[in-house]
Amino acid sequence: MEVLKTLLQQMFYVLIFPGFLFCFIFGLFLSGIDRKMVARMQRRIGPPITQSFYDFFKLVGKDHIIPRKASKKAFLLAPVFGLISIVIISLFIPIFGFTFQESTADIIVILYLITIPALSLVFGGSSSGSAYASIGISREMVTMLSYELPLVMILLSIGKKAGAAINGNVTFSLADIGKYQSLYGIIISKWALIPAAIAFLLIIPAEVGTVPFDAAEAETEICEGPLVEYSGLYLGIYKLTQAVKMFIMGSLFLALFFGGSGFSNIFLNIILMIIGVIITIVISVSFVRSILGRLKVEQTLKFFWTVPTALSAISLILVYLKY
Amino acid sequence: MKFPYIKEAVGNIFKNPVTEKYPFKKVELPEGFRGKIEFDETKCIGCGICIKVCAASAITKTVETTREGRKICMEFNMGSCTFCSFCSDFCPKSAIHLSNEYSMIKTADENNMIVKGSFINILPPKPQTAAAKAGEKKE
Amino acid sequence: MLDKIIEKSRIKSPWIYHVNAGSCNGCDIELIALLGPRFDVERFGVKLTGTPKHADIVFVTGPVTAQTKDRMLRVISQVPDPKVIVSLGSCPMSCNVFKGSYSVVGPLDKWVPVDVSIGGCPPKPEAMIDGLIKALDILKEKRGVK
Repeated sequence: MEVLKTLLQQMFYVLIFPGFLFCFIFGLFLSGIDRKMVARMQRRIGPPITQSFYDFFKLVGKDHIIPRKASKKAFLLAPVFGLISIVIISLFIPIFGFTFQESTADIIVILYLITIPALSLVFGGSSSGSAYASIGISREMVTMLSYELPLVMILLSIGKKAGAAINGNVTFSLADIGKYQSLYGIIISKWALIPAAIAFLLIIPAEVGTVPFDAAEAETEICEGPLVEYSGLYLGIYKLTQAVKMFIMGSLFLALFFGGSGFSNIFLNIILMIIGVIITIVISVSFVRSILGRLKVEQTLKFFWTVPTALSAISLILVYLKY
Repeated sequence: MKFPYIKEAVGNIFKNPVTEKYPFKKVELPEGFRGKIEFDETKCIGCGICIKVCAASAITKTVETTREGRKICMEFNMGSCTFCSFCSDFCPKSAIHLSNEYSMIKTADENNMIVKGSFINILPPKPQTAAAKAGEKKE
Repeated sequence: MLDKIIEKSRIKSPWIYHVNAGSCNGCDIELIALLGPRFDVERFGVKLTGTPKHADIVFVTGPVTAQTKDRMLRVISQVPDPKVIVSLGSCPMSCNVFKGSYSVVGPLDKWVPVDVSIGGCPPKPEAMIDGLIKALDILKEKRGVK
């Protein structure tokens, strides 16, 4: 009886909230809100907010064409792995003190799961056998190299700050970080970690794959890069992965820097998280997208290994000096 | 790294969009706009100057003889017109006028791109020759 | 029920692709002007894609020249069903001023089945929006491969 109850609860977490259904719906809404805000900043009427739903269902109803030179199994399985791994991350991120999956090393799991969608783009692109796709995947690999370094340094500095108060070592568990924030105040109020917050906001557009760091895909000069031979349902899965990644990055930002206990009611916490994620995405993705052009891939590498790396290194050194 | 237009981008969220909501609000055109051709068949005399000056060879003239005279039919193919308005400038009787209509959509099963006009040309009666006139006068 | 959702979504999110088969670029410039702030077609859900495999509606400009004929046929055959082919301007309808030239092989409906033709040289952007709405009506009738 107990086994059945926990099994049903785990299935509810995986399939409904915050698993597949909630991630799909909220991710597609976020993608629509992003397009609408970009249009308003450019003084146009944009598409309606539910536009991404119409895009996804239209792609489900289209014919899919598999090129003759492609290797079929990798071509069809690559997008599915990306989608599954990005949805699983949502089980590890706490919503203001309510955790779904307790573990002692959340951050390491999240770090390796968050690179899998970018790798699935590389696999899908290289298995389609097109010359345009091979340019796109080499640019995607360079972009992945460039943003992993500051991301790891930010997570280390927050882990050290929270862990020093709890057990003296670096902590890798988001639940512990949440506990530290509910006892000592939210992390963004500690002045030593403000450069880390700015660096994290600069990393979000590169993870999501929008302008100015999207030299890999969605570029009209190489016919959309790795996605050039995809059509129909599999293209819809890639677009869905990008939308869910926006939700995951926003929610991670909230859990790391604004976490804690929030209100005591679970529903008010969920509403607070939704509003927080929308504001984060509007500031870091839509605003930057509407005013900047696209950087070349060498410029992306140079930018990420100077500015965000310097900011997060400053935070790391200040934390280790016990500020 | 420079961030241009920050103030304008933030300010634009609170201003109205400048989009013209086209299918729901009609647009007004300046005068002298060169749109679809309107052909006045009562003024045409069938001289054919418009055919000679048309840049895209879009005008055709067909003549058939009927009981009442010659029926002349002028056809203007809008699918081939380049809207230069030479035909309208050169027509001696100002029978061609380029109107304000800009929306010319054709689907696969209808053909609404041809502007036609036809009129019956009755020649005036032939004048009598000088010998016939002299013969009448003598009588 | 899924079929009804798919049919409604098909007309609410048309993605377009643009092929230039030898045109003078006048119609191309007016087509790109449609995506600006004044005639914003993004409010109908339209997005300009970079590859024909993502598109629903194909806009073809220019009289078909001998050099672009094969490439245009290859590109249009890669657009997945259901699709609508729109010819823009008076060049694809009847080759306009280039009739009878040594390098022009004919109006577009000699080579592909054309669904909507928009007249004008170049067509006014409002006329292009009318043509787009008519193409959406035709797209609603077509069935794709499910």
